[in-house]
Amino acid sequence: MYARIKNQFATPDIEIKRGDLSKVVIKKERLFELINFLGVEYKYLTLNGITCADWIEDDRFALSYILTTLDRGHTMMVQTFIKRDAKFKTLSHIFKQAEIMERDLFEMYGIDFIGNGNLKELSLENWIHTPPLRREFDTLEFVNNNLSFREGRDDNIDTKAETKRLRALKKAKKLAEKKAKEAQDGDS
Amino acid sequence: METPKHITIFHGPQHPGITGNMSIELDLVGETIQRATTHVGYLHRGFEKLVERRTIIQAFTIVCRICVPEPDPNETNFALAVEELAGIEISRRAKYIRVLVLELSRLSAQFLWMAGQSGSIGLYVVGQWAIADRDLILDLFEELTGGRVYHMYVYPGGVRRDLPDGFLDRVASLLTYLKKRLKLYDDIFINNASFKNRAVGVGVISKDEAIVNGYVGQALRGCGVKADVRKDAPYLVYDELDFEVPTQTAGDVYARALVRRDEMIQSVKILEQVVEKMPEGDIMVKMPTHRKFKLPKDDTWVKVESARGEFAYYMAGDGTEKIRRMQVRGPSLVHAFTLLEDMLVGAELSDVALIMNSLGICPPEIER
Repeated sequence: MYARIKNQFATPDIEIKRGDLSKVVIKKERLFELINFLGVEYKYLTLNGITCADWIEDDRFALSYILTTLDRGHTMMVQTFIKRDAKFKTLSHIFKQAEIMERDLFEMYGIDFIGNGNLKELSLENWIHTPPLRREFDTLEFVNNNLSFREGRDDNIDTKAETKRLRALKKAKKLAEKKAKEAQDGDS
Repeated sequence: METPKHITIFHGPQHPGITGNMSIELDLVGETIQRATTHVGYLHRGFEKLVERRTIIQAFTIVCRICVPEPDPNETNFALAVEELAGIEISRRAKYIRVLVLELSRLSAQFLWMAGQSGSIGLYVVGQWAIADRDLILDLFEELTGGRVYHMYVYPGGVRRDLPDGFLDRVASLLTYLKKRLKLYDDIFINNASFKNRAVGVGVISKDEAIVNGYVGQALRGCGVKADVRKDAPYLVYDELDFEVPTQTAGDVYARALVRRDEMIQSVKILEQVVEKMPEGDIMVKMPTHRKFKLPKDDTWVKVESARGEFAYYMAGDGTEKIRRMQVRGPSLVHAFTLLEDMLVGAELSDVALIMNSLGICPPEIER
């Protein structure tokens, strides 16, 4: 199988990760052709997931399509890279479940899957900011800019100062105990 | 002739049969559903994003919270992915202890399902029994890990704590008790005419559709597909243990219930073997200091069989102390949208909870 993939798709990047998992990296133009080839020739009939990782330093997303054989014994991770601002074709016309998986990635990364008629918000509500799983979205900065701590809440305590204060208290208490003991010993 | 009157109602987001919050918008004519639309987002916590800001030990404390009824498959997936990327091989004893935890967790989740499934048709006594029996498993978890629901126990490199003295004896006596109890559940629930009449022929899934659309667990095994990660791509020490993968062919709610009942029996069988074969040895290999623990620039896909089906994680490292990407793919995303939205069309309003529960949907794991 690997030799045929190498010859037919001119892809040198095939990695056997485990007995039950292999990874093929392929150019985005030939991704669906490979998925179709794997399905027809080797019974990789189930799409288990579409994953995305943001490699912001290379200005690209790694999209991985996870396919499993009919007997469930082997999983193929077919990976491709797309530009971070790119659109990509949908797989929902072949696998029905791709629709919801792409919707998830659309919401979290802002990837526009052309042909998917159901790209709308999933978990978030009226989200107008950067898609949250993109690396440039800073959770802490978002919280500091958009939310505020309620007065009197423990969350509002400067933990470093509080730790310092508690340590000083503990030290003073120990010192006082030591002095009291010394005074007691002196008396006796 | 008068045009049928359409009404739209929301089923949920709070419903006793479901762990977490999810709602289904139902368009009805009379009692019959014309269209169903799943809505999530009531408890989105952004775990996948939070993980990217944390070191591995910090991320470890989060992952168990991804799914309330089944934290342990999440912990195991996290550990398996980190170990694979970092090239860590754990001890045999740790593998056996992980199987012990995973199977206890499976039993506990199945009891919780039983409570929800029976509650969805008003058989509340079954639910009370099941929750009481589940509590006995939680007692063991508390003794072993310190926590009843969230355990934070299966850590990359092994497990956090060794088995307490006499723990395996207490597991064995619980198994003896549960074997007797499971027969009683057959009488009160599985063979109960009230349940059978409601569940047979309802929520039918076809075999071809189940394979291609990526359904997992009982949704797949209930229509005759013998699929179980523990057999198909064995992890830990499942290849050393003797157990069957139960299947049914009808594909309906009742078939899925029968599969679950048989799976509980198989879990007891696995646990008995684990108790008998538990090897001696270390529980944790030497790990790097957690602040200096880095994952190489690589990625992987790991999966385990949860009580509700295949549960997978994608993980990518980038050569730093933090995980570049961790993506959760449990059974619920596809079951709650691709499957449930289609299956409910033509069903009766009173069957919604019944069908929803039989698919093992856990909303927290969709929104993670």
